[in-house]
Amino acid sequence: MMSRIALLNWTPLLVLALLLAGCETTGSRSFGLIEAQRQTIDNVISVEPGLTWNKVRSSKFTGNIEVWTLDGPTLNTLMFFTGVPDGEPLFVRRAVNQKSVEQPPVFKSDMNPFEIQELLEATMARNFQTTIADSRGLRPQLIDQGRGFRFDTSLVGRDEVERHGVFVGTIQRNKLYGAWFQGAKHHYFYRYLGEYDRIIESAQLLIKAESD
Amino acid sequence: MCSLALWSLMRDVTAQFTMDDAVLHPGYRPEEGSDEEGLWRMMDRAEGNLQLSRFVVRDPQLNEFISDMICRLGKDYCPDIRAYVVRTPYFNASMAPNGMMQIWTGLLLRCSDEAQLAAIVGHEMGHYIHRHSIQRFRDVRNKAGLSAFLGLGLAAAGAGWAGNITDLALTASIFSFSREQEREADSVGLEIMARAGYTPVAAHEVWQQLLAEQEVSTADRTQNVMFASHPAPEERLVTLREQAELLDGERGERGYERFRESLAGVRQQIVDDELRLRQYGRSEVVFDRLIAQSPKDGLLWYAKGEVYRKRAEPGDLKRALDAYQTALDTDSAPPETYRSIVLVELKQGNKAKARSTLDLYLEKYPEAADADSLQMLFY
Ligand SMILES: [Zn+2]
Repeated sequence: MMSRIALLNWTPLLVLALLLAGCETTGSRSFGLIEAQRQTIDNVISVEPGLTWNKVRSSKFTGNIEVWTLDGPTLNTLMFFTGVPDGEPLFVRRAVNQKSVEQPPVFKSDMNPFEIQELLEATMARNFQTTIADSRGLRPQLIDQGRGFRFDTSLVGRDEVERHGVFVGTIQRNKLYGAWFQGAKHHYFYRYLGEYDRIIESAQLLIKAESD
Repeated sequence: MCSLALWSLMRDVTAQFTMDDAVLHPGYRPEEGSDEEGLWRMMDRAEGNLQLSRFVVRDPQLNEFISDMICRLGKDYCPDIRAYVVRTPYFNASMAPNGMMQIWTGLLLRCSDEAQLAAIVGHEMGHYIHRHSIQRFRDVRNKAGLSAFLGLGLAAAGAGWAGNITDLALTASIFSFSREQEREADSVGLEIMARAGYTPVAAHEVWQQLLAEQEVSTADRTQNVMFASHPAPEERLVTLREQAELLDGERGERGYERFRESLAGVRQQIVDDELRLRQYGRSEVVFDRLIAQSPKDGLLWYAKGEVYRKRAEPGDLKRALDAYQTALDTDSAPPETYRSIVLVELKQGNKAKARSTLDLYLEKYPEAADADSLQMLFY
């Protein structure tokens, strides 16, 4: 027998949805202002942005990274890699239930640029929980007068939003340094590509001065 | 992150359910104004989103095959069930109370033949026909409230892919069933597949294969969506085997060729999605098993090579080259096999061999999009 129960009250569902959506709160404590002047990131990378950025203090990702944004992390992010050592992932989602999480793919210092491109693609797929993650167009890029490389990325997240991106990186003293800018395809990525290039052009690696 | 905090909070909610012996009849619609209708409406909305999703695999050949199989299994229920193949690289299928079925591509990769897939689909139909989700829904809601019920959904989705509320709609396992319900779905599923003429032993095989994979996995069992809701795989294996024997287990159709042909259009994508997870031990088990079944399949040998190249532990580069060579000896190696040989030879310092392989690659595939990228590695 089927019991008759009054139509369910959907309010708790709404509350839960808001609770979950609220995870990426935009409170002022979550962000720090980055002025349009020379900035040092984690004492290893120095850049000079042309716009005012926000440092994301409560990024859902963690690792040897620093994350900036212009319009909020869901719309665009600039992720600096401040020296990923051999055997460590590029970045991971902040862990929830450690024991049940699969091993992330890791950086190895003998990887060539093509393999770094493959690694970022795998890292994207894992951390954005998607199968639609691609990279292409690997090419050389000068960084602080040294040899580096550059490639393009694209992904569709679980929110079905298509994001385009560009990564520039270099391996120095067995560590990976780089900057990956990505944003929602329409507007939030292409609008600021010039700013990204300007930041890359201004980049200095402080590790050289330190140890040479 | 917050949703996962919730997740750990909710996963402790355990609940007994009371058997509702009302079996769903073909063409069933819930009574207007009932809680079941509310649940169906929620699922209809989720299905509306799913229909627009870029993660749904649209390949016509594969979709035709799946609908045919569902009608063969479901018989009178056929018009009530709508199946979607979802591009997610894990072993799972699910069925919502409104008739929306999801089949993940990771499940398709792992089935050896149509009969194995029919076993999993039959199991999901068992949950559907016996209306397990509404039972679960009422039970958990009465005990702990609706948010706990949704929390169970998050738990079942597996930590790796449980995210925000839109995920919840997309994710297959919204319902976490009780052990009793799982047993019922197992035996009903077995009956369904056997009646449709599929080989009954395929049901325990497919679980056994999953268990073998799990043994080399770096994550614990709860990570796997199917294990999360099915706590005693060893026990179910025994039961399924016993029940299959009663049904004259080896008889019936395997559907190996048809299964293979139907997957042809999406196989490389499914293999690439698996490789990108970089769960090397698990992938090795999967590809070795598939290779044992189809030793002349170049794509599988390429995939095996990729597992070793990316893992790059001592001895792996040699293993990778051997696998790529075996792939090239078949008539079905993907073009990327040459590219991967270039990468391995470079890693080993064999620049001349890398160069000649690259030349061969570009000669055979002048359109290769990654040609310039590979040239760059030689400087
Ligand atoms: Zn089940």
